[in-house]
Amino acid sequence: MMQNEGLLPPAFATLEPFVERWALPRTADRAARRSASTPEEREAFFRAAGPRLDEALDYLDARALRDLDGPDRRLMDLMLGLAHVALAVEIQGPDEVKSAPWRDRMRIVRSSADREAA
Amino acid sequence: MDQAVSGFQRVPAEDLAWLGTDPVPAAPYYDPVYFEAERQAVFLKNWIHVGHVCEVPEPGSFVRRDLEFARASLLIVRGRDSAVRAFHNVCPHRGTQLVEEASGRQTKFSCPYHMWTFGTDGALMSAPDFEAFHVDKKDCALREVLLQVCGGMMFVNFDAGAAPLRDWMGAYAERLEQMPVARATTFAEYTYEIEANWKLTYDNFQENYHLRFIHPRSGGAGIGGANQFGYPVSMGFEGPHRTQRIWSNPEPTLKPFQRTGAMRGIPALAQAGLLGLPYERDYLAFFPNLFVIGTPTQPFSHTVYPIAPDRSRGVVRVYWVGDDASASQRFAREYSLAQIRDIHAEDIAMIERGQRGLTSGALSHIHFQSMEALCRHLFNEVDSRVQAHLARGAETA
Repeated sequence: MMQNEGLLPPAFATLEPFVERWALPRTADRAARRSASTPEEREAFFRAAGPRLDEALDYLDARALRDLDGPDRRLMDLMLGLAHVALAVEIQGPDEVKSAPWRDRMRIVRSSADREAA
Repeated sequence: MDQAVSGFQRVPAEDLAWLGTDPVPAAPYYDPVYFEAERQAVFLKNWIHVGHVCEVPEPGSFVRRDLEFARASLLIVRGRDSAVRAFHNVCPHRGTQLVEEASGRQTKFSCPYHMWTFGTDGALMSAPDFEAFHVDKKDCALREVLLQVCGGMMFVNFDAGAAPLRDWMGAYAERLEQMPVARATTFAEYTYEIEANWKLTYDNFQENYHLRFIHPRSGGAGIGGANQFGYPVSMGFEGPHRTQRIWSNPEPTLKPFQRTGAMRGIPALAQAGLLGLPYERDYLAFFPNLFVIGTPTQPFSHTVYPIAPDRSRGVVRVYWVGDDASASQRFAREYSLAQIRDIHAEDIAMIERGQRGLTSGALSHIHFQSMEALCRHLFNEVDSRVQAHLARGAETA
């Protein structure tokens, strides 16, 4: 890794504080992190990253999905994490805490996004 | 108000009256005697969905499927001749289960106990010191269970004399073949165990009466305007199977991110020719425990396998055509999976609550309104088989 390489592509550097918590490689991990987070963490992530979704996907769509690595790969994983968090914040809202234990019983055993992540 | 003018026409109750209107007995939803009769007369006598052909893409590809209702483990294998077969995962020597792996690819299957070895067609290829046995190799093949495929979906039948799958499906075979699932090459899956009868569990997904109460946020787009319950626009019945067409809300309330999440997957769906298919608003239910949804952005199947009178296992799969080809497509699929899982999570809480009430024995009967006609149809189809089975048992006795 280059010494100055950022965690994310330069245009998305402001989202780097969210990488460690939210850029996870597998769908089941992302779903579990949603449940294991606090409402404040979810809202902060959604507020910062939600408005950047289109821009991030446009950036990634210009690259071959199979070859994503390093900062690009983390940006993809971060947006996939955002998919779960957006449901919690935008759709479930106050019901999120109540529904989390039920959702966790629905065990994700396979996802098309996992194929290259193993 | 004129419902047709405002965009929704409820299916008239008189069109559904042939299903009956009486209360339905509660015991079939918890009684162990009834459950055992169902196991024998319904689950061991009908075509049961066990997977999709995309799971066994090449000769030697296999999956193991454990089916509690049959107390069986099946080995589903694509042979060198490309045919997919199901075998009991049982060595004919002394009964040892052959395969522990959930899936894989092999050219042969060896029993770890005494190394009897079988081909992908189930034939016994070799067995050490076989001359010392008093049996022919041809009588030592793996025991086959009927497996047939329609629309990519694999079904097994434990009744060796069963009518062919397509006959049993009737006119719905062609509908299934025109749904996205028929072209699927991959899928996402989640499973759950639930403390509830399989019919009670399955029924939740056959009626929309509960949507506005249980899914006020997650299911918001399917409710509104002239259709405050999100009732279907039509219902249909084909032998023991049934269908309903989901209402298209002309003014769905979509949140900004939700709209983006859905839109990101649309170009790839359009390119693959998966938009505008004839059954894309349909829920298609195959007796007894499978239903498939044709919605292109969320084409899923849901199967409820019975374990005990008050315990079941659900398997939900979202089926996709082609591997993820772009970041947008991957994102849209992830969002779609997470979204339907949210909705199902809300359901299971209420289903278990229903089971506790029923198991108490407080009720002799339960009630289905006309917009719960699909639930009534399932009960009727199950009950006629169970009653015939019990009557045969009484005659024998």
